[in-house]
Amino acid sequence: MTKMKKTSQICQSKLPDNTALKQQQLPAYRLQLSATGVLSGFFATGAFCLGVGIILILSAKSIKEIEIKYTKICANCAELREDAINFDKECTCSIPFYLSETMQGNVYLYYKLYGFYQNLYRYILSRSNSQLVGTDLKDVGNCAPFSKSHNGTPIAPCGAIANSIFNDTIILSYNLNSSIHMEVPMLRSGITWWTDKYVKFRNPSAINLSSAFTGTAKPPYWSKPVYELDLEDTENNGFLNDDFIVWMRTAAFPTFKKLYRRLNRVQYFIEGLPAGNYSFNITYNFPVTRFKGEKSVVLSTLTWSGGSSLFLGLAYTVTGAVTWLAAFSMMAIHLMLKEKRTLFIERFETERDRA
Amino acid sequence: MTECLQWARYRWQRLMGSTRRDDEERPYNYSSLLACGSVSSHAPKLAAKHRVVIPHLRPFKDEYEKFSGTYVNNRIRTTKYTLLNFVPRNLFEQFHRAANLYFLFLAVLNWVPLVEAFQKEITMLPLVVVLTIIAIKDGLEDYRKYKIDKQINNLVTKVYSRKEKKYVDQCWKDVVVGDFIRLSCNEVIPADMVLLFSTDPDGICHIETSGLDGESNLKQRQVVRGYAEQDSEVDPEKFSSKIECESPNNDLNRFRGYLEHSSRERVGLGKENLLLRGCTIRNTEAVVGIVVYAGHETKAMLNNSGPRYKRSKLERRANTDVLWCVLLLLMMCLTGALGHGIWLSRYENIIFFNIPEPDGHVISPVLAGFYMFWTMIILLQVLIPISLYVSIEIVKLGQIYFIQSDVDFYNEKMDSTIQCRSLNITEDLGQIQYLFSDKTGTLTENKMVFRRCSVAGFDYCHEENAKRLESYQEAASEDEDSMDTPSGSLTNMTKPRTPSCRTVHNGPLGSKSLNHLAGSCLAVGSGEGASEVPHSRQAAFSSPIIGLSSLSGMPIKSLEEIKNLFQRLSVRRSSSPSLASGKEPSSGIPSAFVSRLSLFSRMKLASPVEEEVSQTSESPRDSSNSARPTETEKQNCDAGLTDGKVECSPGQPLASSLCYEAESPDEAALVYAARAYQCTLRSRTPEQVMVDFAALGPLTFQLLHILPFDSVRKRMSVVVRHPLSNQVVVYTKGADSVIMELLSVASPDGASLEKQQMIIREKTQKHLDDYAKRGLRTLCIAKKVMSDTEYAEWLRNHFLAETSIDHREELLLESAMRLENKLTLLGATGIEDRLQEGVPESIEALQKAGIKIWMLTGDKQETAVNIAYACKLLEPDDKLFILNTQSKDACEMLMSTILKELQKKNPACPEQALLSEGSHQSPATQDSGLRAGLIINGKTLEFALQESLQKQFLELTACCQAVVCCRATPLQKSEVVKLVRNHLQVMTLAIGDGANDVSMIQVADIGMGISGQEGMQAVMASDFAISQFKHLSKLLLVHGHWCYTRLSNMILYFFYKNVAYVNLLFWYQFFCGFSGTSMTDYWVLILFNLLFTSAPPVIYGVLEKDVSAETLMQLPELYKSGQKSEAYLPLTFWITLLDAFYQSLVCFFVPYYTYQGSDIDIFAFGNPLNTAALFIIILHLVIESNSLTWIHMLVIVGSVLSYFLFALAFGAMCVTCNPPSNPHWIMQEHMLDPVFYLVCVLAACVALLPRFVYRVLQGSLFPSPVLRAKHFDRLTPEERTKALKKWAEAGKMGQVTPKNADHSDSKSEKRAKSGPADSFAMMSAPSRPVDQGDFSVHETDLDSGYCETKASGMAGPPKG
Repeated sequence: MTKMKKTSQICQSKLPDNTALKQQQLPAYRLQLSATGVLSGFFATGAFCLGVGIILILSAKSIKEIEIKYTKICANCAELREDAINFDKECTCSIPFYLSETMQGNVYLYYKLYGFYQNLYRYILSRSNSQLVGTDLKDVGNCAPFSKSHNGTPIAPCGAIANSIFNDTIILSYNLNSSIHMEVPMLRSGITWWTDKYVKFRNPSAINLSSAFTGTAKPPYWSKPVYELDLEDTENNGFLNDDFIVWMRTAAFPTFKKLYRRLNRVQYFIEGLPAGNYSFNITYNFPVTRFKGEKSVVLSTLTWSGGSSLFLGLAYTVTGAVTWLAAFSMMAIHLMLKEKRTLFIERFETERDRA
Repeated sequence: MTECLQWARYRWQRLMGSTRRDDEERPYNYSSLLACGSVSSHAPKLAAKHRVVIPHLRPFKDEYEKFSGTYVNNRIRTTKYTLLNFVPRNLFEQFHRAANLYFLFLAVLNWVPLVEAFQKEITMLPLVVVLTIIAIKDGLEDYRKYKIDKQINNLVTKVYSRKEKKYVDQCWKDVVVGDFIRLSCNEVIPADMVLLFSTDPDGICHIETSGLDGESNLKQRQVVRGYAEQDSEVDPEKFSSKIECESPNNDLNRFRGYLEHSSRERVGLGKENLLLRGCTIRNTEAVVGIVVYAGHETKAMLNNSGPRYKRSKLERRANTDVLWCVLLLLMMCLTGALGHGIWLSRYENIIFFNIPEPDGHVISPVLAGFYMFWTMIILLQVLIPISLYVSIEIVKLGQIYFIQSDVDFYNEKMDSTIQCRSLNITEDLGQIQYLFSDKTGTLTENKMVFRRCSVAGFDYCHEENAKRLESYQEAASEDEDSMDTPSGSLTNMTKPRTPSCRTVHNGPLGSKSLNHLAGSCLAVGSGEGASEVPHSRQAAFSSPIIGLSSLSGMPIKSLEEIKNLFQRLSVRRSSSPSLASGKEPSSGIPSAFVSRLSLFSRMKLASPVEEEVSQTSESPRDSSNSARPTETEKQNCDAGLTDGKVECSPGQPLASSLCYEAESPDEAALVYAARAYQCTLRSRTPEQVMVDFAALGPLTFQLLHILPFDSVRKRMSVVVRHPLSNQVVVYTKGADSVIMELLSVASPDGASLEKQQMIIREKTQKHLDDYAKRGLRTLCIAKKVMSDTEYAEWLRNHFLAETSIDHREELLLESAMRLENKLTLLGATGIEDRLQEGVPESIEALQKAGIKIWMLTGDKQETAVNIAYACKLLEPDDKLFILNTQSKDACEMLMSTILKELQKKNPACPEQALLSEGSHQSPATQDSGLRAGLIINGKTLEFALQESLQKQFLELTACCQAVVCCRATPLQKSEVVKLVRNHLQVMTLAIGDGANDVSMIQVADIGMGISGQEGMQAVMASDFAISQFKHLSKLLLVHGHWCYTRLSNMILYFFYKNVAYVNLLFWYQFFCGFSGTSMTDYWVLILFNLLFTSAPPVIYGVLEKDVSAETLMQLPELYKSGQKSEAYLPLTFWITLLDAFYQSLVCFFVPYYTYQGSDIDIFAFGNPLNTAALFIIILHLVIESNSLTWIHMLVIVGSVLSYFLFALAFGAMCVTCNPPSNPHWIMQEHMLDPVFYLVCVLAACVALLPRFVYRVLQGSLFPSPVLRAKHFDRLTPEERTKALKKWAEAGKMGQVTPKNADHSDSKSEKRAKSGPADSFAMMSAPSRPVDQGDFSVHETDLDSGYCETKASGMAGPPKG
């Protein structure tokens, strides 16, 4: 004890620093919940939300979109695909439709799947990023049971995702008149994220693709090996195939659409898709009835606010309205209180201020 | 030091763990265990119940090895870890925590491939971080202990070395059993040893055991029989005996063994032969002993119970809610499991939905559901807030940092500030409901000041001490009295107690008043005789009284001093070069008053002998007497005069360098006071006392016998031979109640004298009552003259008693009774223990804050009650009930009587409050109706604490505003605290300064030590140590409130945060077939809690200020919110959870519906979700915060930035990492997308709207007091005072907080009225209790001896 005392004498005074921080006297901003402040804040927020909501609704309304579910239309094909035995039997199906209004600007062609769970944990795990980036074709670690073919060669691209690729072919043709059917020119490139195409997916380096993929097997459900996905465009072949890349970006919800093609705005289509008769010619490969799913094709334009969903706009509008409602009711409460408490006027000023 | 001792014990208990048997057996196991631990691994050969101690010297080497070789040495190690075992052991300990085990379990679970949800390594990250942080903290703590241990182990003591044939310095740690140790005065005993030699010729040695049992008085220890007679020091070389004694045990009051000489002769050993480790040698020049227990086997080490692991109430509350979270988690997991099973049964054969195992085997839905359960646990683990525990610890550290740096807790005089010794119960400070306070040294300064005395029925006051008090602290030696006032001291000191006297008179006035004195003696005398009311008398005759008082004041003191001296106040000269030389400190007591004593005593008693004595020396004075009726009084005057004169003449240079060290502060006060009147204690040896009288010169009294103080007799006596009269005189000093009974009824000196005596006695009694009312500690002094033959006879009997073996105690008592009878009253003294600065205000504030304050003191009832009044614990119009009974039945009866009465008058007084044990007593019940105070003394307390009466007692106390327990032992103190704590389920705080408060401090939820006069024991045992009581109010009202609200809000926020965030994942499961997919990148998922959102709540927990300190101090009522746990009620928790659910729903479904049916991918969907969640969570905090400083801003901005930076950087760099969630470029992509922002803004708005609206409306619709008080902080000072007034009025009108505000307001009003007078009263003697006419006391006396229950008597001052 004596020692302790001594040391305390020796050290300098224990007087704590008298600083604002240490004394917890820092100037602090306090949320001022004064009536005017709060109410004006609420009204402003409400106005903002309403404004944004209306803008969003308007922009969503400006979008033209056509969706055609073709599972039922192509029922026979669907039935055929129900049984895996018929995998090599081709089945096509044509779906005519009438476009009443011109779709202005860029038009995008999507396929949409209902009830296909691309977001299952084991499903999304079943891929090999290092394989897809072209560094190690043999790395099939997470892909089991779609990692190796029967004879042990690694599958490229391995895994459930790649194996389950959407393999319908959709061709849109424009019936200028009853005799002239012309295929609407579509671009099969530029439909992926740039980074996917140029960073995340690389083909293994080799003189040509087929040699690059030697020693690998095609996914069991595929009809052709990966290096034959697009024989016309080498930039769109192998892992760099846009459709493949798009598919590999697993969708968040069981109902999703994926970009398939975009309109090549040439000739008749320089303004977009003119109104008129069209038909989709679909090679029906992808089975959906097995999981009680559906498929559809979607033609859509885009605006700055994304797709055709009205939700965001509506939500903003409703929020704005609710905010205003809240503001009004608060004002009412505030006024009521004010009246009720005239007895202690001054005290209620403090209350009112807060309200 | 105590702390580490405790640790050792604690550690040992853990070591023992399961193998612990009953207490009897423990010690033996212990020795062996310890032996394995530190010395050698083979068990002691003597597994028996005895240990044999052989001197640790060469001739006995073989024997020594045989017996003592395995005993532990004196090294102590209280650390938990060593360098080597730190990592494994710390991990081991950490995994004793349920939370850590849980996370370990998760980490392991994630290694099971079937249920794996994350990357394996990622799950371990939080755990690793948490473990590391805690390990660092533990390590630092342990290192601190290690350093203390090292310091203790390296203390030096003198051990006999055979080689050098003398005592050489050795470290404590090298001491072993069997060593001979020589200690000098004031040295601390390094190990338990048997006393073999003491320089005291009687073979006595004194030790102070306060470090062990909290008793601060000195204890005698005796040299082993047979050794005491030796003149020379015991020679270790020749010591050939061996000692056989009990194995180590923790009973401080027992030691059994014998010492066997080589001749096989045995000498018994008892506890009076044992010196205990940790005690200090006092008053004995040197002692020699042989070590019998060392190190961890000493009684001190065995006896220190380990620190109670304190878990704060809030944490307990939080833990139950964590359990709720676990339940919630299980339900969610179950949902996931069921959902997955059902979902999978629909798609069992779809190969892409139910991907086969690598071996092609397909899992059945049931099994998959089962696996999914565990996967979900991993996925949703964050629901159990792992970071909560770490954050709480960090926040508490921060809070403590700020508490410690509060300037208001700084005490300049002591250069000390608050010490927070316990790191994990800060928030309990905000929830205290019961406060148990020690009196002496806690409420009072424990600086005893001689205030008044009554001599021969005249009352004198001594104001000089006020001065002394001021300078008390600064000067190490307290000689000021004599130094400052060499000439005029007498007169200055002895001024009447008119309030002004202190300030008016200063030293130089002395001579003047003396002159007055001479002239007015007569007047005084008559005046005194006539007047009933002391005040008026004094006012009228102030100057004469001065003279008088001076005269007689001195004698009394001297008397007392003598006695004190006799009592063995060890007087010591500190730093006095002239006097210190040569003599040992212990014996250097100069006592000069004996002569005086005789003088004065003579004057008072008028016993012929004394008169003669005085006459011989002071005959001139006798002649100059005034016309007083009794001779004695005249003499008084005369004596005073002469004294005064003497002192006026150039005074006494010698006195200046004396420093007294007394057993108790009051004795010191007496000696000092005596010195102020020129009766200087010069020296004190066992045989004689020398007192220096200015008038007579030094006189030496021969000390014939001392009957030490004991609590049964409540008095002590000395027998001296008077140097002048050569008579044997017995002086007795003791409690007034006792002394009064012992006074001689029939004096042999005739009727007139007897009558005189009676008058004196009555007057003195009046004075005593008066003193007690003023809160003074009273003592009576009486004497008796014996003839030599009488004395011889008594001595013979007494010797018989002393030497008897059976019933020694009783015989001694009897013998003392024989001596202490037929006494003649000399006078009485009143010693003030001044209230500490700011105590009444603090107590008032704390009471306003709804804290029930109990005063537990060892002091006597009157003093305690009066201090209670002085410090505003009791108000003058409180109803007072006194429980003072001799038997349990009476106690029970009395309690029920009081209770009935209370309940009748005060229907609110709750029976139900206690019937529903565990429920908090609503403060309403205490405040409504009348205030009552309960006084209970130690004996009655013992009954009340018995099981059958406990409940009634508590019921009774529940009705009372304040409870004062007087004459309570340390054990009772702790029992009271325990009783209240356990039975009422309330938060208790015990505050004390002395070793006797240690037990109480340890038992209470919060132990508070006052680093004051009485050493460090209380501080060491405490959770917080402050230097003055007044700091308590700020600590509780401000810091307690802050800590509590901060922490509870933070905990709630953590729950909210985790639930809100985890639910995002959960909602997603409904859209991914309950497959355990997370839509978030795992790193973000883990770091979200660990990094991005961890700092703001911590800062919030440390810096949040709902109400400013000033307002909190001004409105103590605000504290009640903490007592009622308003910030964190079970309901609050569920509301928080609901809000969290709502917010997570919004945060999930706004993006969901926005992106529904689009081509968004999983992780791109997760990104806005995360971002929105981040903003929601942080903005939620902003809404909840009441004050935002730049630190908050910095941290919030930093968190948001760190999130974005991480997301961007990770997104840019991570191309293939972290499958399956590949965050590559997602954030970048999104930041260019307006929809992303729109989604985030909308989600945040919608999510936060309800809470914001609630907060807004709360202010106007149902403002809590705290909320309203918050508003005060924004006002200008003038507005503020106005508002405060309004608050008070509103409270009175019962508008807002009728119950709470009510009485406090009326009280404050009252205070305002009686402002100045009261404040004076606080400073000096409390004035209010003095005018007792109007305060009613219910006193109930139950005396079982007569088996009579007197109904509660009314009115009048309390009587013992």
